[in-house]
Amino acid sequence: AAMRSRAEVDATLQTAKLNPAELLPAVHCLSFGPQAGGGECCLLQLEPGLCAELEAGRSLIIRGEKDEHAVLCSKDKTYDMKIADTSNMLLFVPGCKTPEELKADQASCNIIHSQIAGFSKNYWELRRCRPKLKKLRTLLMEDPYEGPDSQKDQTSTFSKYTTEDLLNLIQASEEEILHQLQAIDACKIEGYWRILDFDYEMKLLNHVTQLIDSESWPLSKVPLCACLEELGSLEPREMIEHILLSYGRKYVDDGEVFFEMHEDKICRAIAQMLLQNAVKFNLSEFEEVWQQSVPEGMTARLDQLQGLALVDRSSRPETIFLLKVEDLPEDNQERFNSLFGIREKWTEVDITPYIQDLCAEKQTVGALLTKYARCSMLNGVKVYNSRRPIS
Amino acid sequence: SPCLPSAGTGALAQWVLLELQGEVEPRQSGDLAGSLLGDLHYTCEGVPVLIVGHHILYGKVVQLEKPFAVLVKQGGASQPSPGEPHGRYTVTALIKTKLLFKTRPKPIITHVPKK
Repeated sequence: AAMRSRAEVDATLQTAKLNPAELLPAVHCLSFGPQAGGGECCLLQLEPGLCAELEAGRSLIIRGEKDEHAVLCSKDKTYDMKIADTSNMLLFVPGCKTPEELKADQASCNIIHSQIAGFSKNYWELRRCRPKLKKLRTLLMEDPYEGPDSQKDQTSTFSKYTTEDLLNLIQASEEEILHQLQAIDACKIEGYWRILDFDYEMKLLNHVTQLIDSESWPLSKVPLCACLEELGSLEPREMIEHILLSYGRKYVDDGEVFFEMHEDKICRAIAQMLLQNAVKFNLSEFEEVWQQSVPEGMTARLDQLQGLALVDRSSRPETIFLLKVEDLPEDNQERFNSLFGIREKWTEVDITPYIQDLCAEKQTVGALLTKYARCSMLNGVKVYNSRRPIS
Repeated sequence: SPCLPSAGTGALAQWVLLELQGEVEPRQSGDLAGSLLGDLHYTCEGVPVLIVGHHILYGKVVQLEKPFAVLVKQGGASQPSPGEPHGRYTVTALIKTKLLFKTRPKPIITHVPKK
């Protein structure tokens, strides 16, 4: 189509009875660009911080398999995507100037021919969400590392995952994924991320705790070098260092590397080792065996087992059984259904470790309970049960 | 993974959004490409005035609290909207300003001179 001339623009102004003296001199003649009707452009509404990231040259990534709801990931955050409809028409115009820009640029030409690049009645809305990290553990648990002597690795037909693989498969930002890998004590072996088989992990831990005991080292000052020297013939050095990193805090003193061992984490691991051998245990018997099994100088306490084991104080005798939060469903409603299937009524103290990870940014456990549970009193104690009948 | 790479530091274009009521329909039965929408003026006070066909629309300049990114789908084939956004996209531009035309359009009455 022929471009409008100044004369045509002025004629239109006259017909419209608009006074040119009341208008800025420049006019935008808007027409539809060649791709405008194609539907290839769409709008994404940006949450705070994302605009700055894009302007800084960083990318945003949409992740999700065909059967998953797509999420958008920045470098360190994950967002659910949802279509928002407006009743209005949104047209996107490149090169369109605002009044301020026109006033600032007095020399700007009189007619600006602007082509509308596209239009839409809807846009993508983002809502910050919890990264979907359960799949990470599921993938790595397909083939836990059992040590260098294991025959499995050579003949294994299971997939092994590099960082790149995980970024493609997990609906979370890179930072969230790397942070979770550290949280679950994964390690890189020959370029692949691996989780240790629990028995192998306990074997490594046992080497270390026995050495600490025989050398009478303080638990807060375990020397790396000596560990590698003494245990290097039994296990790969990387594995010895990995177990120390998993169960201790690394620090440097006077040029030498030491580890301050995590008493709670060690006691917890030993409890898991004991509990996984039966459906449930007599509580007092368990506590006795557990205390005898932990390293010299450590105190085994039930509060170390939050999210790992559940105590039943209503049974006679009282019992304890393994219940790992990471084995429970990731979806909020499914998680609550699962918990209420295990136990009909929960106190807040008991249920908190099993729902804490569901809290969104700034959401409290209390808010979750209000939404997904019903509150009642039992023997003077506040308890929570399901909102719906459990079949 | 469908990636939204941006063109690099400072290279992202700034576009403007025009928000109108109603539908966009081509005047002729031909497609939209190339057809005129109208003239966009601003008053000296900065009020946007859009002349579309026989209508005048007055609007206002709004700084968006949440800017938009314009995504362009790669690979040609347009997806049925609003399907799941699987596929390759590039961030082409940012939109921080919109011109909102919410007032009812004023019709332009052409004065027919008395003979």
